[in-house]
Amino acid sequence: MLKNYFKTAWRTFWKHRSTGLINIAGLSVGMAAAVLIFIWVHNEFTFDNDQPDAENIYRITSHLAIDKNETWVWESSPYQLGLEAKKTMPEVMAVTRVLPVSWSPIDLYINNEFFREKHAAYVDESWFNVFKGNFVSGNAIAFNNNPFSIILSESKAKKYFANQDPIGKTIRIDSANYQVQAVIKDAPANSSFKFDLFIPVAARQADAEQKNSDMGWGNFSYITFIKFKPQTNIKYASENLKSIIKPHRDKKDNLNITLRNLKEMHFESDLQNSGLVHADKKVVYIFVILGALLLIIACINYVNLTTARASLRAKEVSVKKILGAGRGHLFKQFVAESAVISLLALILTVIIVSVALPSFNSFTNRNFSLTTSSAYLWIIIIGTLLITIVLNSIYPALLLSSFKPLSAFRGGTVMKIKDTSLRKGLVVVQFTFSIFLIIGVITIYKQLSFVQSQNPGYDRSQIMSFDISWKLLKGIKDEQQTAVKSALKQSILHEPSVDAASLVGMESIQSNGSFSSGSADWEGRPKDFNPSITYFNVDGDYTRLVALKFASGRWFLPGSADRRNVIINETAARQFNIHKPYVGQRFIAQGDTGVVIGVVKDFNFQSMHAKITPVVFKLDQQWSSNYLVKVAPHKQAQAIARIESIWKQNFPGQPFSYQFLDQEFDKIYREDAKASTLMSGFAIVAIIISCLGLFGLAAFTAEQRGKEIGIRKVLGASIASLVSLLSVEFIVLVIIALIIAAPLAYWLMNLWLQNFAYRISLQWWIFIAAGFVAVLIAFATVGLQTIKAAMANPVKSLRSE
Amino acid sequence: MIKITNLEKFYRTEEVETIALNKLSMHVDTGEFVAIMGPSGCGKSTLLNILGMLDDPDEGSYVFNGIEVAHFNERKRADLRKHNIGFVFQSFNLIDELTVFENVELPLIYTGVSASERVKRVEEVLDKMQIMHRRNHYPQQLSGGQQQRVAIARAVVNKPKLILADEPTGNLDSSNGNDVMELLTDLNEQGTTIIMVTHSEHDARYSHRIIRLLDGQTVMENIMV
Repeated sequence: MLKNYFKTAWRTFWKHRSTGLINIAGLSVGMAAAVLIFIWVHNEFTFDNDQPDAENIYRITSHLAIDKNETWVWESSPYQLGLEAKKTMPEVMAVTRVLPVSWSPIDLYINNEFFREKHAAYVDESWFNVFKGNFVSGNAIAFNNNPFSIILSESKAKKYFANQDPIGKTIRIDSANYQVQAVIKDAPANSSFKFDLFIPVAARQADAEQKNSDMGWGNFSYITFIKFKPQTNIKYASENLKSIIKPHRDKKDNLNITLRNLKEMHFESDLQNSGLVHADKKVVYIFVILGALLLIIACINYVNLTTARASLRAKEVSVKKILGAGRGHLFKQFVAESAVISLLALILTVIIVSVALPSFNSFTNRNFSLTTSSAYLWIIIIGTLLITIVLNSIYPALLLSSFKPLSAFRGGTVMKIKDTSLRKGLVVVQFTFSIFLIIGVITIYKQLSFVQSQNPGYDRSQIMSFDISWKLLKGIKDEQQTAVKSALKQSILHEPSVDAASLVGMESIQSNGSFSSGSADWEGRPKDFNPSITYFNVDGDYTRLVALKFASGRWFLPGSADRRNVIINETAARQFNIHKPYVGQRFIAQGDTGVVIGVVKDFNFQSMHAKITPVVFKLDQQWSSNYLVKVAPHKQAQAIARIESIWKQNFPGQPFSYQFLDQEFDKIYREDAKASTLMSGFAIVAIIISCLGLFGLAAFTAEQRGKEIGIRKVLGASIASLVSLLSVEFIVLVIIALIIAAPLAYWLMNLWLQNFAYRISLQWWIFIAAGFVAVLIAFATVGLQTIKAAMANPVKSLRSE
Repeated sequence: MIKITNLEKFYRTEEVETIALNKLSMHVDTGEFVAIMGPSGCGKSTLLNILGMLDDPDEGSYVFNGIEVAHFNERKRADLRKHNIGFVFQSFNLIDELTVFENVELPLIYTGVSASERVKRVEEVLDKMQIMHRRNHYPQQLSGGQQQRVAIARAVVNKPKLILADEPTGNLDSSNGNDVMELLTDLNEQGTTIIMVTHSEHDARYSHRIIRLLDGQTVMENIMV
């Protein structure tokens, strides 16, 4: 029986190949997009789930109330807290700490070659007891026995040592030699810990000074994980942790400790910043919806093309019913037809997915592979197939199997199916989605170009930046350090290819969001007001490079005359409620009592997602080790070469790496640029699918109205009038879709724009443009069919009736 | 076998109500071969639809094999139909996507006959209709006469008690038409009741009895000798 259904289904497909191919093309594109999205979504929802005992592993979260309105949330906690917890809390089974190095990459020398590793971490000796490491060779014991050990990921081992056995090989970091003790498999796509290089914490703490600093109760550098005994009361445990830390907090009670389960870590949204992989749950849900919508609009094609052709199948259905077929028989037959089409589409889907996977991986920064062993992947693919079959078959099967057999009794009758309005409705749904995406693409593109072209209030062109790692200056006395640093600056300034140079405390004018609080005071500050401040440690030349604009006052004088004075931005002046005139007011910053000597106009030192916050400039060279160099016009290559040679003279054997502020600036909007690429991708897929459907419907309409067209032509209708006769109904649908999509898009895109503190307003022309694009595409799709129909010889269509 | 009494059927459009059958009464005995004749619009097709349980009457009674079916729902009618009635159409109504064998096999599938039994019975009936050699062809590859023979094979494969034929020779030339009438006569002689709608006096002469309809009523009955 089943064989019978599929046999008939296959023949039906073969007989209507062209419609079938349109169906398959649309379905496979939609299914492929959905499969890719669902792979990613599945991955996001299963982060760290495969860690053994994940439900008992918690991370300590520190909440620091810096102000009555502001609390900083950190994923890090004091190193000592873990030690004490292990000692005093019986419910603790194991404690482990990790220090990701994402903020200061590790420089490796392997066979005199230099590599910079960002995905590295210091881990304590319990790390591989709590978290599983898939060891390819070597083991954790050897790693823990010697502080100067390294564990490499498989891909990095291959990169560094090619085909040699990496175990026992030496890697130099700073001045110490480390040995590779083990190689582990690369972290799976759903791991929060994407580290390619592990170093024991013991190696870091071999330096007494470092150890001393790490052990301080005020040092929140390490991320601490605790594995509890099953059924531990977590609330109670976090109270215990709090009471451990309390005696070590000399000041007020502004620290709260909570515990977050490993499985819930990935979607945390309250952290200041993180060295682990995080994602926004909202975004994941949006993708679920987008994936589902793409699949639905692909299925709409099938439903529309199948029901449009329903009348052609009236005879077959009627005859079968007269011969005794029940509705069930016919229903199953039509489901089988949908299954055949969907299965054929699935083959194409798998091909599309495997071709697209590499670029999808680099886009999502994940490592998915389409192998037979990844069961979940096939579950997703088969699941998508089943959903597709259900979506495709229910309505057409119900409709077709509901025909009354009566009408076919006398010869081949034409059956009038009253479902054209449903079909039109579905086309409207497809185009609503497409137009929405087009509006989205235009909006995102406009906002991003607004952000890039917006005057940030400073000049970032032709400025290169590099830094002297603190490790290079270690062991040198403070005065000597300052001498070394300013000597370097002077020799750079002597280069003709350099216009200006400045020694500053941060590598870029773009701040990565480091704030401090509680270290500033001024006249009239309420006792409990400790706002977040971003400090810029600069020298007297800084503004020559970045050209800040002044609202009042002046920049620092050369030398140390202004050592204790500050310059603030307009926002700081306003928010701090400093008495007017601002210039000349007393201001205490980081222990230095001075006056405000200038107020600069606000400039965007963070991305335009964030509002401008208070900034305080200080003249401070002691903690500065970053150089900003303004390169003379058209002398970039020369400047780089010269500065590199100066560097080599000063720091022989040390690698020189630099960046340009322009590039840094672009990096800030990389996620937004991705969103834009993605939106365009979705829009293109949606439009392709919708147009395929429209194409099929138009072809069918042209075929069905062949006789009418013939008669009109004989009666003298022009080709143009026929084309408009046939096209108008489709164009009307697209316009209705525009009317529905516009307010929806207006609402949702405004919501997206809320993410930017500085944003465009949605203008009416965006909607008109999107509508115009949609109508144009629809007309191009439909027009071809209608012109063909209108040009046909009427004698032919009339005779064949 | 069939007894209908005061059967009425109306067709309504928005404004006009047409009476298709007007208090029609008739009966057909088991083993009879009855021809129904009349001009276009006299109600022949409506009558045949009701007899074939494809449609239900608005008023009156229809007793089939002692069972009152006038107000059966569609499912019950379909069930009764597939076991008792075979249909032959003017335009053959074979399914283009199925081969000769598969077309004939269909009614057996729907009545749940096992696969091996189906092969046996289809081959038997194809043999009888002398189209065994065409079993793997598709309908479009056959002549009109052959197609109608396949249709008749399909109508009888389930061994129905009643065959309803709607102008079975209407689309055939006279030689093929005669063949078809011979086949129907043979079936009738083997005990199958046949009711045939026709325009052709020639075909009607194969029957035992002619019922003539006009405006939804019986106007005359001829007993053939």
